Amino acid sequence: MEIFTYFKNVFSGLWNLMVGLSVTTRYFFNFKAVTTQQYPEERLPLPARSRSMIKLIYDGEKDQFNCVACLMCAKACPNSCIKLEGVRQADGKRRMTTFKLDFSTCIFCGYCVEACGFDALTFVSEEYENAVYKRGSLLQDEHAMKWVRPPQPVAEEAQKTEMATPAVAGA
Amino acid sequence: MFTGENIVQIVAVFLNWAYAQLGISFLAGVINPIISAVVMFGFIAVFVMFLVWMERKVSAHMQSRIGPNRVGPLGLLQTVADAIKLTIKEDVKPVKRDKIPYFIAPIVAFVATFMGMVVIPFDKGMVVQDLNVGILYIIAITGFTVIAILTAGWSSNNKFALLGGFRSAAQIISYEVPLVLSVVPIIMITGTLSLTGIVEYQHQAGYWFILPQFFAFLIFITSATAEANRAPFDIPEAESELIGGFHTEYSGVKFAMFFLGEYIAVVVSSAVAVTLFFGGWLPLPFLGSLPIPGFIWFLAKLLLVIYLIMAFRWTFPRLRVDQLMDFGWKVLLPISILNILLTAAVWLLLYGKGAQ
Repeated sequence: MEIFTYFKNVFSGLWNLMVGLSVTTRYFFNFKAVTTQQYPEERLPLPARSRSMIKLIYDGEKDQFNCVACLMCAKACPNSCIKLEGVRQADGKRRMTTFKLDFSTCIFCGYCVEACGFDALTFVSEEYENAVYKRGSLLQDEHAMKWVRPPQPVAEEAQKTEMATPAVAGA
Repeated sequence: MFTGENIVQIVAVFLNWAYAQLGISFLAGVINPIISAVVMFGFIAVFVMFLVWMERKVSAHMQSRIGPNRVGPLGLLQTVADAIKLTIKEDVKPVKRDKIPYFIAPIVAFVATFMGMVVIPFDKGMVVQDLNVGILYIIAITGFTVIAILTAGWSSNNKFALLGGFRSAAQIISYEVPLVLSVVPIIMITGTLSLTGIVEYQHQAGYWFILPQFFAFLIFITSATAEANRAPFDIPEAESELIGGFHTEYSGVKFAMFFLGEYIAVVVSSAVAVTLFFGGWLPLPFLGSLPIPGFIWFLAKLLLVIYLIMAFRWTFPRLRVDQLMDFGWKVLLPISILNILLTAAVWLLLYGKGAQ
Protein backbone atom coordinates (compact mmCIF):
# COMPACT_ATOMS: atom_id res chain seq x y z
CA MET A 1 0.00 0.00 0.00
CA GLU A 2 2.89 2.35 0.61
CA ILE A 3 3.63 2.40 -3.08
CA PHE A 4 0.14 3.83 -3.72
CA THR A 5 0.71 6.55 -1.13
CA TYR A 6 4.01 7.33 -2.83
CA PHE A 7 2.44 7.78 -6.25
CA LYS A 8 -0.50 9.66 -4.77
CA ASN A 9 1.93 12.07 -3.13
CA VAL A 10 3.90 12.51 -6.35
CA PHE A 11 0.83 13.26 -8.43
CA SER A 12 -0.82 15.51 -5.86
CA GLY A 13 2.47 17.42 -5.58
CA LEU A 14 2.59 17.76 -9.35
CA TRP A 15 -1.01 19.00 -9.39
CA ASN A 16 -0.27 21.56 -6.69
CA LEU A 17 2.68 22.89 -8.66
CA MET A 18 0.45 23.22 -11.73
CA VAL A 19 -2.10 25.21 -9.70
CA GLY A 20 0.66 27.52 -8.52
CA LEU A 21 1.93 28.00 -12.06
CA SER A 22 -1.57 28.79 -13.30
CA VAL A 23 -1.89 31.58 -10.72
CA THR A 24 1.38 33.25 -11.70
CA THR A 25 0.67 32.80 -15.40
CA ARG A 26 -2.73 34.41 -14.97
CA TYR A 27 -1.09 37.40 -13.28
CA PHE A 28 1.62 37.52 -15.96
CA PHE A 29 -0.89 37.91 -18.80
CA ASN A 30 -3.18 40.25 -16.86
CA PHE A 31 -1.48 43.53 -17.72
CA LYS A 32 -4.22 45.55 -16.05
CA ALA A 33 -3.21 44.12 -12.66
CA VAL A 34 -0.13 46.38 -12.62
CA THR A 35 -0.38 48.68 -9.62
CA THR A 36 2.91 50.55 -9.98
CA GLN A 37 2.62 54.35 -10.16
CA GLN A 38 5.22 55.95 -12.41
CA TYR A 39 5.99 58.57 -9.78
CA PRO A 40 7.37 61.66 -11.51
CA GLU A 41 4.80 61.36 -14.30
CA GLU A 42 1.89 59.89 -12.38
CA ARG A 43 0.93 61.01 -8.89
CA LEU A 44 -1.20 59.11 -6.50
CA PRO A 45 -4.17 61.26 -5.38
CA LEU A 46 -3.67 61.73 -1.65
CA PRO A 47 -6.52 61.56 0.85
CA ALA A 48 -7.83 65.03 1.71
CA ARG A 49 -6.77 64.76 5.36
CA SER A 50 -3.27 63.41 4.77
CA ARG A 51 -0.61 65.48 6.51
CA SER A 52 2.22 66.66 4.32
CA MET A 53 3.17 70.28 5.02
CA ILE A 54 2.14 72.88 7.56
CA LYS A 55 0.80 76.08 5.98
CA LEU A 56 -0.41 79.46 7.15
CA ILE A 57 -3.93 80.17 5.93
CA TYR A 58 -4.26 83.45 4.07
CA ASP A 59 -7.68 85.03 3.74
CA GLY A 60 -7.91 86.41 0.24
CA GLU A 61 -11.08 88.45 0.86
CA LYS A 62 -9.72 90.33 3.89
CA ASP A 63 -6.20 90.40 2.38
CA GLN A 64 -4.57 89.20 5.59
CA PHE A 65 -3.46 86.08 7.42
CA ASN A 66 -5.91 84.50 9.81
CA CYS A 67 -3.18 84.41 12.45
CA VAL A 68 -3.62 86.78 15.41
CA ALA A 69 -0.26 85.97 17.02
CA CYS A 70 -1.76 84.43 20.15
CA LEU A 71 1.38 82.27 20.49
CA MET A 72 -0.61 79.13 21.26
CA CYS A 73 1.16 77.23 18.48
CA ALA A 74 4.60 78.30 19.69
CA LYS A 75 3.75 77.12 23.21
CA ALA A 76 2.33 73.82 21.95
CA CYS A 77 5.39 73.07 19.81
CA PRO A 78 7.51 70.40 21.60
CA ASN A 79 10.67 71.43 19.72
CA SER A 80 10.13 75.16 19.91
CA CYS A 81 10.56 75.54 16.22
CA ILE A 82 7.87 78.20 15.76
CA LYS A 83 8.91 81.84 16.24
CA LEU A 84 6.33 84.56 15.60
CA GLU A 85 5.70 88.18 16.42
CA GLY A 86 2.52 90.17 16.39
CA VAL A 87 1.42 93.77 16.75
CA ARG A 88 -1.76 95.39 18.05
CA GLN A 89 -3.48 97.28 15.30
CA ALA A 90 -5.44 100.53 15.48
CA ASP A 91 -8.75 98.68 15.81
CA GLY A 92 -7.48 96.84 18.87
CA LYS A 93 -7.01 93.48 17.21
CA ARG A 94 -3.66 91.70 17.17
CA ARG A 95 -2.17 90.73 13.84
CA MET A 96 0.81 88.52 13.04
CA THR A 97 3.76 90.35 11.49
CA THR A 98 6.46 87.67 11.19
CA PHE A 99 6.09 83.92 11.40
CA LYS A 100 9.03 81.51 11.17
CA LEU A 101 8.81 77.72 11.28
CA ASP A 102 12.06 75.73 11.19
CA PHE A 103 11.15 72.54 9.41
CA SER A 104 14.58 71.04 10.11
CA THR A 105 13.51 70.53 13.73
CA CYS A 106 9.78 70.17 13.14
CA ILE A 107 8.53 66.63 13.66
CA PHE A 108 5.11 67.24 12.07
CA CYS A 109 3.35 66.21 15.24
CA GLY A 110 0.49 68.58 14.46
CA TYR A 111 0.18 70.06 17.96
CA CYS A 112 0.41 73.58 16.57
CA VAL A 113 -2.44 72.91 14.16
CA GLU A 114 -4.54 71.49 16.99
CA ALA A 115 -3.69 74.36 19.32
CA CYS A 116 -4.62 77.04 16.83
CA GLY A 117 -8.01 78.45 17.69
CA PHE A 118 -8.28 80.89 14.80
CA ASP A 119 -8.10 78.54 11.81
CA ALA A 120 -4.72 80.00 10.93
CA LEU A 121 -2.53 76.89 10.65
CA THR A 122 -3.34 73.79 8.67
CA PHE A 123 -1.90 70.68 7.13
CA VAL A 124 -2.07 70.52 3.35
CA SER A 125 -1.98 67.18 1.57
CA GLU A 126 -0.60 67.92 -1.89
CA GLU A 127 2.80 69.46 -1.07
CA TYR A 128 4.78 66.40 -0.05
CA GLU A 129 8.01 66.97 -2.01
CA ASN A 130 9.84 68.96 0.65
CA ALA A 131 13.44 67.90 0.06
CA VAL A 132 15.88 70.81 -0.18
CA TYR A 133 19.55 71.21 -1.02
CA LYS A 134 20.50 73.37 1.96
CA ARG A 135 19.38 73.04 5.52
CA GLY A 136 18.73 76.77 5.71
CA SER A 137 15.98 76.44 3.12
CA LEU A 138 13.92 74.55 5.70
CA LEU A 139 13.50 77.71 7.79
CA GLN A 140 10.34 79.05 6.21
CA ASP A 141 8.68 82.38 6.88
CA GLU A 142 5.12 83.53 6.36
CA HIS A 143 5.65 84.21 2.65
CA ALA A 144 6.85 80.67 2.03
CA MET A 145 4.03 79.21 4.11
CA LYS A 146 1.26 81.38 2.65
CA TRP A 147 -1.61 79.19 1.50
CA VAL A 148 -5.05 80.20 0.28
CA ARG A 149 -7.77 77.68 0.95
CA PRO A 150 -9.23 76.64 -2.38
CA PRO A 151 -12.99 77.23 -2.81
CA GLN A 152 -14.78 74.11 -1.68
CA PRO A 153 -18.06 72.56 -2.79
CA VAL A 154 -21.08 73.67 -0.79
CA ALA A 155 -21.93 70.28 0.66
CA GLU A 156 -18.42 69.74 1.93
CA GLU A 157 -18.31 73.29 3.29
CA ALA A 158 -21.44 72.67 5.35
CA GLN A 159 -20.01 69.43 6.67
CA LYS A 160 -16.73 71.09 7.50
CA THR A 161 -18.27 73.94 9.49
CA GLU A 162 -20.45 71.47 11.30
CA MET A 163 -17.42 69.48 12.31
CA ALA A 164 -15.29 72.52 13.05
CA THR A 165 -17.84 74.27 15.26
CA PRO A 166 -17.27 72.35 18.51
CA ALA A 167 -13.53 72.84 18.21
CA VAL A 168 -13.96 76.58 17.83
CA ALA A 169 -16.42 76.68 20.71
CA GLY A 170 -14.05 74.75 22.89
CA ALA A 171 -11.17 77.05 22.06
CA MET B 1 12.68 28.67 -48.78
CA PHE B 2 15.31 30.68 -46.92
CA THR B 3 16.43 28.22 -44.27
CA GLY B 4 19.26 28.10 -41.80
CA GLU B 5 21.03 25.56 -44.01
CA ASN B 6 21.02 28.08 -46.90
CA ILE B 7 22.52 30.76 -44.68
CA VAL B 8 25.27 28.42 -43.53
CA GLN B 9 26.00 27.40 -47.13
CA ILE B 10 26.11 31.02 -48.31
CA VAL B 11 28.49 31.94 -45.50
CA ALA B 12 30.64 28.89 -46.25
CA VAL B 13 30.83 29.76 -49.95
CA PHE B 14 31.73 33.37 -49.11
CA LEU B 15 34.40 32.30 -46.63
CA ASN B 16 35.93 29.83 -49.10
CA TRP B 17 36.01 32.57 -51.74
CA ALA B 18 37.63 34.96 -49.26
CA TYR B 19 40.26 32.37 -48.29
CA ALA B 20 41.03 31.71 -51.94
CA GLN B 21 41.37 35.44 -52.63
CA LEU B 22 43.72 35.91 -49.69
CA GLY B 23 45.57 32.68 -50.43
CA ILE B 24 45.11 31.29 -46.93
CA SER B 25 42.93 28.27 -47.72
CA PHE B 26 45.25 26.09 -45.64
CA LEU B 27 44.24 28.13 -42.56
CA ALA B 28 40.51 27.49 -43.04
CA GLY B 29 40.55 24.75 -40.41
CA VAL B 30 41.82 27.27 -37.86
CA ILE B 31 39.83 30.34 -38.82
CA ASN B 32 36.43 28.69 -39.29
CA PRO B 33 36.12 27.52 -35.67
CA ILE B 34 37.21 30.95 -34.45
CA ILE B 35 34.52 32.59 -36.56
CA SER B 36 31.94 30.09 -35.26
CA ALA B 37 32.98 30.76 -31.68
CA VAL B 38 32.81 34.54 -32.13
CA VAL B 39 29.41 34.38 -33.81
CA MET B 40 28.11 32.05 -31.12
CA PHE B 41 29.51 34.27 -28.37
CA GLY B 42 27.92 37.35 -29.90
CA PHE B 43 24.60 35.58 -30.19
CA ILE B 44 24.73 34.23 -26.66
CA ALA B 45 25.77 37.57 -25.15
CA VAL B 46 22.89 39.42 -26.80
CA PHE B 47 20.48 36.60 -26.04
CA VAL B 48 21.47 36.46 -22.36
CA MET B 49 21.03 40.23 -22.09
CA PHE B 50 17.57 39.81 -23.54
CA LEU B 51 16.90 36.96 -21.10
CA VAL B 52 17.88 39.03 -18.08
CA TRP B 53 15.50 41.73 -19.25
CA MET B 54 12.83 39.08 -19.88
CA GLU B 55 13.32 37.56 -16.44
CA ARG B 56 12.87 40.93 -14.80
CA LYS B 57 9.77 41.64 -16.87
CA VAL B 58 8.28 38.20 -16.19
CA SER B 59 8.88 38.49 -12.46
CA ALA B 60 7.51 42.04 -12.44
CA HIS B 61 4.28 41.20 -14.20
CA MET B 62 3.78 38.12 -12.04
CA GLN B 63 3.96 40.43 -9.02
CA SER B 64 1.75 43.19 -10.50
CA ARG B 65 4.73 45.43 -11.14
CA ILE B 66 6.07 46.95 -14.37
CA GLY B 67 9.75 46.09 -14.26
CA PRO B 68 12.56 47.95 -16.03
CA ASN B 69 11.11 50.60 -18.33
CA ARG B 70 13.48 53.57 -18.19
CA VAL B 71 16.55 52.71 -20.29
CA GLY B 72 15.64 52.34 -23.94
CA PRO B 73 12.30 51.25 -25.36
CA LEU B 74 10.45 49.08 -22.80
CA GLY B 75 13.64 49.07 -20.73
CA LEU B 76 15.38 46.80 -23.24
CA LEU B 77 18.73 48.52 -22.74
CA GLN B 78 18.61 48.15 -18.96
CA THR B 79 20.83 45.06 -19.12
CA VAL B 80 23.34 46.90 -21.29
CA ALA B 81 23.58 49.56 -18.62
CA ASP B 82 23.95 46.86 -15.95
CA ALA B 83 26.69 45.13 -17.94
CA ILE B 84 28.60 48.41 -18.36
CA LYS B 85 28.25 49.06 -14.63
CA LEU B 86 29.56 45.58 -13.81
CA THR B 87 32.56 45.84 -16.12
CA ILE B 88 33.76 49.22 -14.85
CA LYS B 89 33.23 48.25 -11.23
CA GLU B 90 36.12 47.79 -8.83
CA ASP B 91 37.17 44.15 -8.51
CA VAL B 92 37.10 43.62 -4.74
CA LYS B 93 39.09 40.54 -3.73
CA PRO B 94 39.48 38.89 -0.35
CA VAL B 95 43.08 39.22 0.86
CA LYS B 96 43.44 35.61 2.03
CA ARG B 97 41.96 34.06 -1.08
CA ASP B 98 43.56 31.14 -2.89
CA LYS B 99 44.73 33.22 -5.84
CA ILE B 100 44.87 30.86 -8.81
CA PRO B 101 41.62 28.89 -8.21
CA TYR B 102 39.87 32.15 -7.31
CA PHE B 103 40.87 33.55 -10.70
CA ILE B 104 40.11 30.40 -12.70
CA ALA B 105 36.70 29.51 -11.19
CA PRO B 106 34.55 32.14 -12.98
CA ILE B 107 36.27 31.38 -16.28
CA VAL B 108 35.52 27.66 -15.92
CA ALA B 109 31.93 28.38 -14.87
CA PHE B 110 31.41 30.47 -17.99
CA VAL B 111 33.34 28.31 -20.49
CA ALA B 112 31.90 24.99 -19.29
CA THR B 113 28.34 26.06 -19.96
CA PHE B 114 29.23 28.03 -23.09
CA MET B 115 30.87 24.94 -24.62
CA GLY B 116 27.49 23.23 -24.47
CA MET B 117 26.26 25.54 -27.23
CA VAL B 118 28.61 23.85 -29.68
CA VAL B 119 26.32 20.93 -30.45
CA ILE B 120 22.94 22.72 -30.29
CA PRO B 121 21.30 22.49 -33.73
CA PHE B 122 19.52 25.80 -34.40
CA ASP B 123 18.31 24.57 -37.76
CA LYS B 124 18.97 21.72 -40.15
CA GLY B 125 22.73 21.99 -40.74
CA MET B 126 22.96 25.17 -38.64
CA VAL B 127 25.16 23.77 -35.90
CA VAL B 128 28.73 24.54 -34.96
CA GLN B 129 29.79 20.88 -34.75
CA ASP B 130 27.29 18.03 -35.05
CA LEU B 131 29.05 15.55 -32.75
CA ASN B 132 27.75 12.00 -32.92
CA VAL B 133 27.91 11.91 -29.09
CA GLY B 134 26.18 15.29 -28.77
CA ILE B 135 23.92 14.64 -25.80
CA LEU B 136 26.66 12.86 -23.86
CA TYR B 137 29.01 15.74 -24.63
CA ILE B 138 26.55 18.31 -23.27
CA ILE B 139 25.96 16.36 -20.07
CA ALA B 140 29.70 15.91 -19.59
CA ILE B 141 30.73 19.47 -20.33
CA THR B 142 28.02 21.13 -18.26
CA GLY B 143 29.04 18.88 -15.38
CA PHE B 144 32.21 20.99 -15.16
CA THR B 145 30.25 23.83 -13.57
CA VAL B 146 30.24 21.93 -10.28
CA ILE B 147 34.03 22.06 -10.24
CA ALA B 148 33.95 25.79 -10.91
CA ILE B 149 31.40 26.42 -8.17
CA LEU B 150 33.22 24.26 -5.65
CA THR B 151 36.53 25.94 -6.52
CA ALA B 152 34.96 29.36 -6.20
CA GLY B 153 33.47 28.53 -2.82
CA TRP B 154 36.68 27.04 -1.50
CA SER B 155 39.13 29.63 -2.79
CA SER B 156 37.06 32.58 -1.53
CA ASN B 157 38.07 31.73 2.07
CA ASN B 158 34.60 32.55 3.27
CA LYS B 159 32.38 30.18 5.22
CA PHE B 160 29.21 31.13 3.36
CA ALA B 161 30.88 30.69 0.01
CA LEU B 162 32.27 27.32 1.08
CA LEU B 163 28.85 26.16 2.29
CA GLY B 164 27.33 27.29 -0.99
CA GLY B 165 29.96 25.39 -2.94
CA PHE B 166 29.40 22.20 -0.93
CA ARG B 167 25.64 22.43 -1.27
CA SER B 168 26.03 22.98 -4.99
CA ALA B 169 28.28 19.95 -5.34
CA ALA B 170 25.79 17.76 -3.48
CA GLN B 171 22.91 19.12 -5.51
CA ILE B 172 24.46 18.87 -8.96
CA ILE B 173 25.74 15.35 -8.36
CA SER B 174 22.29 14.28 -7.14
CA TYR B 175 20.42 15.80 -10.04
CA GLU B 176 22.87 14.77 -12.73
CA VAL B 177 21.63 11.18 -12.34
CA PRO B 178 17.90 11.73 -13.06
CA LEU B 179 18.89 14.20 -15.79
CA VAL B 180 20.84 11.54 -17.64
CA LEU B 181 18.26 8.85 -16.93
CA SER B 182 15.44 11.02 -18.29
CA VAL B 183 17.31 11.29 -21.59
CA VAL B 184 17.96 7.54 -21.86
CA PRO B 185 14.48 6.54 -23.19
CA ILE B 186 14.83 8.95 -26.09
CA ILE B 187 18.27 7.60 -26.92
CA MET B 188 16.82 4.07 -26.78
CA ILE B 189 14.03 5.01 -29.19
CA THR B 190 16.11 6.99 -31.66
CA GLY B 191 19.25 4.93 -31.42
CA THR B 192 21.47 7.99 -31.77
CA LEU B 193 23.25 10.41 -29.44
CA SER B 194 23.47 13.17 -32.06
CA LEU B 195 21.05 16.03 -31.40
CA THR B 196 20.51 16.55 -35.14
CA GLY B 197 19.77 12.82 -35.45
CA ILE B 198 17.18 13.02 -32.67
CA VAL B 199 15.38 15.89 -34.40
CA GLU B 200 15.53 14.03 -37.74
CA TYR B 201 13.94 11.02 -36.05
CA GLN B 202 11.08 13.19 -34.76
CA HIS B 203 10.68 14.62 -38.26
CA GLN B 204 10.35 11.14 -39.77
CA ALA B 205 8.19 9.75 -36.97
CA GLY B 206 5.80 12.70 -37.29
CA TYR B 207 5.47 13.38 -33.57
CA TRP B 208 7.51 15.10 -30.89
CA PHE B 209 8.83 13.19 -27.93
CA ILE B 210 6.81 15.35 -25.53
CA LEU B 211 3.84 13.06 -26.32
CA PRO B 212 5.26 9.62 -25.45
CA GLN B 213 7.82 10.94 -22.98
CA PHE B 214 5.92 13.54 -20.99
CA PHE B 215 7.26 12.37 -17.64
CA ALA B 216 10.78 12.30 -19.02
CA PHE B 217 10.26 15.95 -19.95
CA LEU B 218 9.09 16.80 -16.43
CA ILE B 219 12.10 15.04 -14.90
CA PHE B 220 14.44 16.66 -17.40
CA ILE B 221 13.17 20.20 -16.84
CA THR B 222 13.27 19.74 -13.05
CA SER B 223 16.80 18.37 -13.06
CA ALA B 224 17.91 21.03 -15.54
CA THR B 225 16.58 23.75 -13.24
CA ALA B 226 18.52 22.18 -10.39
CA GLU B 227 21.63 21.87 -12.58
CA ALA B 228 21.47 25.57 -13.42
CA ASN B 229 21.18 26.40 -9.69
CA ARG B 230 17.97 28.26 -10.26
CA ALA B 231 15.06 28.64 -7.86
CA PRO B 232 13.38 26.59 -6.45
CA PHE B 233 16.68 24.69 -6.34
CA ASP B 234 18.90 27.70 -5.65
CA ILE B 235 20.16 26.63 -2.22
CA PRO B 236 23.82 27.05 -3.30
CA GLU B 237 23.19 30.78 -3.56
CA ALA B 238 20.21 31.11 -1.26
CA GLU B 239 20.24 34.80 -0.45
CA SER B 240 18.40 34.48 2.82
CA GLU B 241 20.74 31.79 4.14
CA LEU B 242 24.12 32.17 2.48
CA ILE B 243 24.26 35.82 1.29
CA GLY B 244 25.39 35.06 -2.27
CA GLY B 245 26.59 31.49 -1.81
CA PHE B 246 29.66 30.63 -3.85
CA HIS B 247 29.84 34.06 -5.51
CA THR B 248 29.67 36.04 -2.27
CA GLU B 249 33.26 37.20 -2.64
CA TYR B 250 33.12 37.91 -6.34
CA SER B 251 32.42 41.32 -7.82
CA GLY B 252 32.67 43.16 -11.10
CA VAL B 253 33.62 41.18 -14.19
CA LYS B 254 34.10 37.92 -12.29
CA PHE B 255 30.61 38.12 -10.88
CA ALA B 256 29.34 38.90 -14.37
CA MET B 257 31.00 35.68 -15.59
CA PHE B 258 29.11 33.61 -13.00
CA PHE B 259 25.90 35.43 -13.84
CA LEU B 260 26.44 34.87 -17.56
CA GLY B 261 27.29 31.23 -16.90
CA GLU B 262 24.05 30.71 -14.99
CA TYR B 263 21.97 32.13 -17.82
CA ILE B 264 23.89 30.20 -20.47
CA ALA B 265 23.19 27.04 -18.45
CA VAL B 266 19.50 27.92 -18.67
CA VAL B 267 19.79 28.49 -22.42
CA VAL B 268 21.70 25.23 -22.99
CA SER B 269 19.33 23.09 -20.93
CA SER B 270 16.29 24.72 -22.54
CA ALA B 271 17.81 24.19 -25.98
CA VAL B 272 18.40 20.52 -25.19
CA ALA B 273 14.83 20.24 -23.91
CA VAL B 274 13.54 21.80 -27.14
CA THR B 275 15.70 19.48 -29.24
CA LEU B 276 14.76 16.34 -27.35
CA PHE B 277 11.10 16.92 -26.57
CA PHE B 278 9.76 19.68 -28.86
CA GLY B 279 11.21 18.70 -32.20
CA GLY B 280 14.02 21.25 -32.39
CA TRP B 281 13.66 23.30 -35.57
CA LEU B 282 10.55 21.45 -36.78
CA PRO B 283 7.51 23.69 -37.31
CA LEU B 284 4.32 23.29 -35.35
CA PRO B 285 1.93 20.72 -36.78
CA PHE B 286 -0.34 22.12 -39.55
CA LEU B 287 1.92 25.18 -39.83
CA GLY B 288 4.73 23.50 -41.76
CA SER B 289 3.80 25.23 -45.03
CA LEU B 290 4.41 28.72 -43.63
CA PRO B 291 7.59 30.37 -44.96
CA ILE B 292 9.19 30.57 -41.52
CA PRO B 293 12.80 29.35 -41.30
CA GLY B 294 13.57 26.57 -38.84
CA PHE B 295 15.77 28.62 -36.50
CA ILE B 296 12.85 31.00 -35.86
CA TRP B 297 10.76 28.02 -34.77
CA PHE B 298 13.66 26.85 -32.64
CA LEU B 299 14.06 30.24 -30.96
CA ALA B 300 10.31 30.52 -30.36
CA LYS B 301 10.20 27.13 -28.66
CA LEU B 302 13.39 27.99 -26.76
CA LEU B 303 11.79 31.17 -25.39
CA LEU B 304 8.70 29.23 -24.32
CA VAL B 305 10.76 26.67 -22.38
CA ILE B 306 12.85 29.46 -20.83
CA TYR B 307 9.64 31.21 -19.83
CA LEU B 308 8.60 27.98 -18.11
CA ILE B 309 11.86 27.85 -16.16
CA MET B 310 11.45 31.53 -15.22
CA ALA B 311 7.86 30.87 -14.11
CA PHE B 312 9.23 28.09 -11.87
CA ARG B 313 11.56 30.57 -10.26
CA TRP B 314 8.89 33.14 -9.48
CA THR B 315 6.23 30.64 -8.43
CA PHE B 316 7.75 27.94 -6.28
CA PRO B 317 9.31 28.43 -2.84
CA ARG B 318 12.88 27.27 -2.28
CA LEU B 319 13.40 23.68 -1.10
CA ARG B 320 15.22 22.91 2.11
CA VAL B 321 18.48 20.96 1.78
CA ASP B 322 17.03 17.69 3.07
CA GLN B 323 13.88 18.13 0.96
CA LEU B 324 16.13 18.71 -2.03
CA MET B 325 18.01 15.46 -1.49
CA ASP B 326 14.75 13.61 -0.75
CA PHE B 327 13.20 14.91 -3.94
CA GLY B 328 16.21 14.04 -6.07
CA TRP B 329 16.85 10.54 -4.78
CA LYS B 330 13.41 9.37 -3.65
CA VAL B 331 11.17 10.86 -6.34
CA LEU B 332 13.05 11.79 -9.49
CA LEU B 333 15.42 8.84 -9.60
CA PRO B 334 12.83 6.02 -9.12
CA ILE B 335 10.40 7.64 -11.52
CA SER B 336 13.03 8.09 -14.21
CA ILE B 337 14.10 4.44 -13.84
CA LEU B 338 10.45 3.40 -14.00
CA ASN B 339 10.07 5.53 -17.12
CA ILE B 340 13.01 3.74 -18.76
CA LEU B 341 11.55 0.34 -17.92
CA LEU B 342 8.08 1.26 -19.20
CA THR B 343 9.45 2.76 -22.40
CA ALA B 344 11.60 -0.28 -23.02
CA ALA B 345 8.68 -2.64 -22.39
CA VAL B 346 6.29 -0.73 -24.67
CA TRP B 347 8.92 -0.45 -27.39
CA LEU B 348 9.66 -4.15 -27.19
CA LEU B 349 5.96 -4.98 -27.47
CA LEU B 350 5.43 -2.63 -30.41
CA TYR B 351 8.65 -2.98 -32.43
CA GLY B 352 10.54 -5.85 -30.82
CA LYS B 353 11.38 -9.12 -32.53
CA GLY B 354 8.51 -10.94 -30.84
CA ALA B 355 5.91 -8.42 -31.93
CA GLN B 356 6.17 -9.10 -35.64
